[in-house]
Amino acid sequence: MTRRLVGPLLLALAVVLTPEAGRAILYIDINAPGGKRMPVALPALVVVGADPSLSAAIPKVVSDDLRMTALFEVLSPQSYLEKILPAHFTGKPLSFPDWKMIGAEAVVIGKVEARGDQIAVEMRLYDSTLGNMMTGRRYTGPARSFRMIAHKFANEILYAFTGVRGIFDTEIAFTATPRGGRDKEIYIVGLDGQDVRKITDNRSFNLFPRWSPNGNLLAYTSFKTGVPAIYLRNLGDGSERLLVKFGNSKSPGSFAPGGDALYASVSVGGNSEIYRVRLNGSNAEKVVAGWGIQVSPSVSPDGKRIAFVSNKSGSPQVYIRDLAGGADKRVSHAGGYSTSPSWSPAGDRIAFTSQEGGKFSIYTVKADGSDQQLLASADGDCTDPSFSPDGRYVVYTFQKKGYSELKIISTDGRWGKSLFSGLSGVGSPAWSPRR
Amino acid sequence: MNGERVWKWGAAVLAVMMLCALGCAKKQEVKSTEAAAAPAVQEKAAPGGIVSEPLMPQAPATGETQVAAAGVAVTQEKPSSFMDIHFDFDKSSIREDAKPVLSGVADHLKKNKGMRLLIEGHCDERGTSEYNMALGDRRAESARAYLASLGVPASAISTVSFGKEKPLDPGHNEAAWAKNRRDHFVVK
Repeated sequence: MTRRLVGPLLLALAVVLTPEAGRAILYIDINAPGGKRMPVALPALVVVGADPSLSAAIPKVVSDDLRMTALFEVLSPQSYLEKILPAHFTGKPLSFPDWKMIGAEAVVIGKVEARGDQIAVEMRLYDSTLGNMMTGRRYTGPARSFRMIAHKFANEILYAFTGVRGIFDTEIAFTATPRGGRDKEIYIVGLDGQDVRKITDNRSFNLFPRWSPNGNLLAYTSFKTGVPAIYLRNLGDGSERLLVKFGNSKSPGSFAPGGDALYASVSVGGNSEIYRVRLNGSNAEKVVAGWGIQVSPSVSPDGKRIAFVSNKSGSPQVYIRDLAGGADKRVSHAGGYSTSPSWSPAGDRIAFTSQEGGKFSIYTVKADGSDQQLLASADGDCTDPSFSPDGRYVVYTFQKKGYSELKIISTDGRWGKSLFSGLSGVGSPAWSPRR
Repeated sequence: MNGERVWKWGAAVLAVMMLCALGCAKKQEVKSTEAAAAPAVQEKAAPGGIVSEPLMPQAPATGETQVAAAGVAVTQEKPSSFMDIHFDFDKSSIREDAKPVLSGVADHLKKNKGMRLLIEGHCDERGTSEYNMALGDRRAESARAYLASLGVPASAISTVSFGKEKPLDPGHNEAAWAKNRRDHFVVK
């Protein structure tokens, strides 16, 4: 039986401490490559009554998030001269010369207080040259939500410096085999690879998790009745409902931007075609017909075009179709077998995987088929790309022989990391929208 | 080290001063009252830092036993009195070496008219999951069509694809892959 989520996490009232005048200042141009990294200090948090490990744990999450952007250099705590005290949150100013002396142009301080089984976390970002608070926020939530709180403040830091919203509080859904099992279940993990939760638990094959635009629903294929069907899971209350039952194989591709329909591929009589299925269950309309295999629809941000895979040329390649009509345009020109398109939420670029030289690598290409670029390649297979909501990162599966892991790479190639390898058979990652 | 940076910061300072001169007349006060703050943000729980799995299989809720068993059975290889037939990479066409097996299946079904057959389509681990699901369907359908040409009614056969999710041979080489590109026949 599927496990219910453990209660809603209430981050009640992120309180803005000081609406700063400085938002008009562009400290960092996020689109200027090769810029020098902003040196930031992240001293230990003041902890009052709460778990003392939060003192280092919260800055670590923030630090890892800032490093992801390749825009910041987090200075080593061993160099810090000033100790942060509770008084710094009640009017005592920081000793800014101490921070400038070690090269910190910004300082992030924080305080965690226990409130029953909740924590109240106050975070502040200071400009050590101007000596002002650039942004500050207070969060309240269950103690176990400390990573999500840290992610949210990292978003604030990025916004304060660049004017661009961060995606550090987003999550990635994926499939994996539980230890000792033969089944595939769906999991969700945070960007720090730490907070993993299990969504399905029916011991069959649960595949292809795909997020609704508001992040409240996950669509997936499950074999729990013995045959595949597409279900929708409500992540808020844990309820599940059947969405697509007709045909044989079926897999969700992506939701329409309005969230009212799901593009999915369904096989009938051995031919796999792409349908738009209304979430209110009223109808399924065929949008890409054909003999052979048409799978993996990924819709453009404006909802007007879809990228999909077809083997009509003899082998699987990625095509783009304007849903209003017109000829399909093939956009994959990498290898003899190209699949898994993911349309960037931020622009006209599509990621896909292609087999060339005996292995799969991740490519991106413009929607008009031009400017194909290699993004991720390794001694093994790189498959299943999925863009972050800001289009700046791609999560994908790396596999070699029996080993698999989820990896993230920035689309400019400046940063990458391993996200998760704690279960076997990990794959099919899908990056959540901002929520 | 900060040579070129100084002028950038100088420009920033100047910009701040200009903004202040233009209109930041009143010093903003620290808001500590919740009423004046942004609306509450509801978030979902992300419990713990570890993946936790039960050591004992969890008993399904009443009324769901049959459903749960069907799902679990999906992950097990079902016994078959027929051999598997095999396919070339990315192909679903019936090979010559499959025809004797299919003849045998057809004979058996025609002799036992009430019997039902499930054809499972499978793929090797290479390539992506969604595409392989559809390919497995084509492989199963391809065998069904061939059996129909031998006189087996389509109504006697159902098909399911497991794509690459249920390899027979867990190896990562051509020998294993060749075994896994198959249709598996299960009499129901």
